[in-house]
Amino acid sequence: MSQAILLKSFFEETGKTFRFILRFLLQWFKPRYEVAEFFRQCYVIGYKSLPLIGLTGFIMGLVLTMQLRPTMIEYGVESQIPIIVAISIVREIGPVITALIFAGKIGSSIGAELGSMKVTEQIDAMEVSGTNPFKYLVVSRVMATTLMLPILALLSDAISLYGAYLGVNIKGDTSFTLFWTQIFDSLSFNDVLPAFIKTYFFGFAVGIIGCYKGYNSNKGTEGVGKSANSAVVLSSILIFILDLLAVQITDLLGFN
Amino acid sequence: MKDKTLNNFKLGIFVLAGLLFLIVLLYMIGKNRNMFGFNYVIKARFENVQGLKTGNNVRFAGIDIGTVSNISMINDTIMEVEMSIDHKVKNIIRTNAIASIGTDGLVGNKVVNIISLKKSAPLAKNNDILNTKKPIDTDEMLRTFYKTNNDISIIAQQLKITMAKINDSNKLWEVINNKDFANNLKSSANQIKNASSHLNELTTQANNIVKEVNEGKGTLGLILKDTAFSKSISNSMKSINNIAIKANELSVQLKEIMEEINHDIKNGDGIANKILKDSQIVNKINNALTNIENGTNGFNQNMEALKHNFLFRGYFKKLEKQNAKKQ
Repeated sequence: MSQAILLKSFFEETGKTFRFILRFLLQWFKPRYEVAEFFRQCYVIGYKSLPLIGLTGFIMGLVLTMQLRPTMIEYGVESQIPIIVAISIVREIGPVITALIFAGKIGSSIGAELGSMKVTEQIDAMEVSGTNPFKYLVVSRVMATTLMLPILALLSDAISLYGAYLGVNIKGDTSFTLFWTQIFDSLSFNDVLPAFIKTYFFGFAVGIIGCYKGYNSNKGTEGVGKSANSAVVLSSILIFILDLLAVQITDLLGFN
Repeated sequence: MKDKTLNNFKLGIFVLAGLLFLIVLLYMIGKNRNMFGFNYVIKARFENVQGLKTGNNVRFAGIDIGTVSNISMINDTIMEVEMSIDHKVKNIIRTNAIASIGTDGLVGNKVVNIISLKKSAPLAKNNDILNTKKPIDTDEMLRTFYKTNNDISIIAQQLKITMAKINDSNKLWEVINNKDFANNLKSSANQIKNASSHLNELTTQANNIVKEVNEGKGTLGLILKDTAFSKSISNSMKSINNIAIKANELSVQLKEIMEEINHDIKNGDGIANKILKDSQIVNKINNALTNIENGTNGFNQNMEALKHNFLFRGYFKKLEKQNAKKQ
């Protein structure tokens, strides 16, 4: 019986989420754009996340290189380390790790911010004062996450590759020019473009889930915490599901 | 307001940095794929492209000069590979260059190798078709390997049998295990060594002799090398020759004499013929010999009568006594 209720609530939630997405799309097309708020959100969401994402990216590149080294030496392909690291960072690790960190930082903050606004009835007050709260709060945030995450992922890739360069040079000796040449010789558009495009979807997922959970937060302080938490969990899961879909679609289209 | 401008400035830098990295990434990849810059197309026709794909590298003398831009089927046995080549090598690749499909390393990507020949030829222009060399077919290689492997297996089997036979052979093991044999072998080897050193000395000496002979030292050298000696020998030989000629003449004369004698004998002339042929002379000689015999008999009787004569008896007795004393 309880399973049936769970299943019912799951479908209900999914339906509500898609209704929310539809509402977002409708509001997005309609004029009266909140440009100033959008740029403010871009600054908060994108620029302020850069140190955290840069640090994680750098560590990922460095650690990945050092972890790969013993195995690669065992196979006698030590010289291929930059290529393997570059391909794995650009194709998978850069976008996904960045998106997960981004979900942890931004998804939770959006969920908590909108949740507390909902709980303290600020959203209702906004509506009364004549501002479209959905446009002001949701559209600007979702647009900001959608556009900022790809840029964060690109910068994270760059920083990771620099970390990998340092990692290679801890025990080996590879000049920056050789490292650079090896990376760009091995990479192709099929590596870069699908990875770049999927980060838009990751960003959109993080933004829309955070906003939905905050916007539909339950009453009380407990509701705020819950919406923040579930925003992070759901957007992290969605990132993995979207990643799976992305690899399937690129494979299907022959770009893999 | 001032704060907001600063934030926008930071945001602008952030966004541009990200986009710049994307552009650099795409540009570098595109540059490696020869998508920008001036290129020209060279074609090559193969029977089998062996999994070559568009985007694979084209190499000239080991340097990447372009990429495969298109692969198309002309008919069931000819595949045409179009290669986009950097215009920088336009003054290097000639029409007689040979294209072949190879592998980057043992298991790497396929590459098209363009090899230049030493003969001169006009430079390759846009859309020129290069000659090709049949690539090394991995399948064929493996097939050969398979055959070789089988052969090796047979050889190994036979070797195994041989080894088993050797192992089973007691005689051979006896020979191998026998310490005396080893010692004998050792001493034989030593002797051979001595013999060879002697031989060495001998040859050295022979060498010296030959050298001396060459230099004209010693009798042999004299014989072989001294011109005066050879001249005197030559003279001697001449004299011998003369003697032989004279002997020849003599024998001719002797022959003439003999012929004359022979002639005389046959015709009944001369003394020899009379001796040999005349029967009367033979009778006369015979008579003479009978007379002589008779005469000697008479003489014997006379001598016996003389012994018994008293005048000579004493002498004969004396002789008898002397003979008896001697005995």
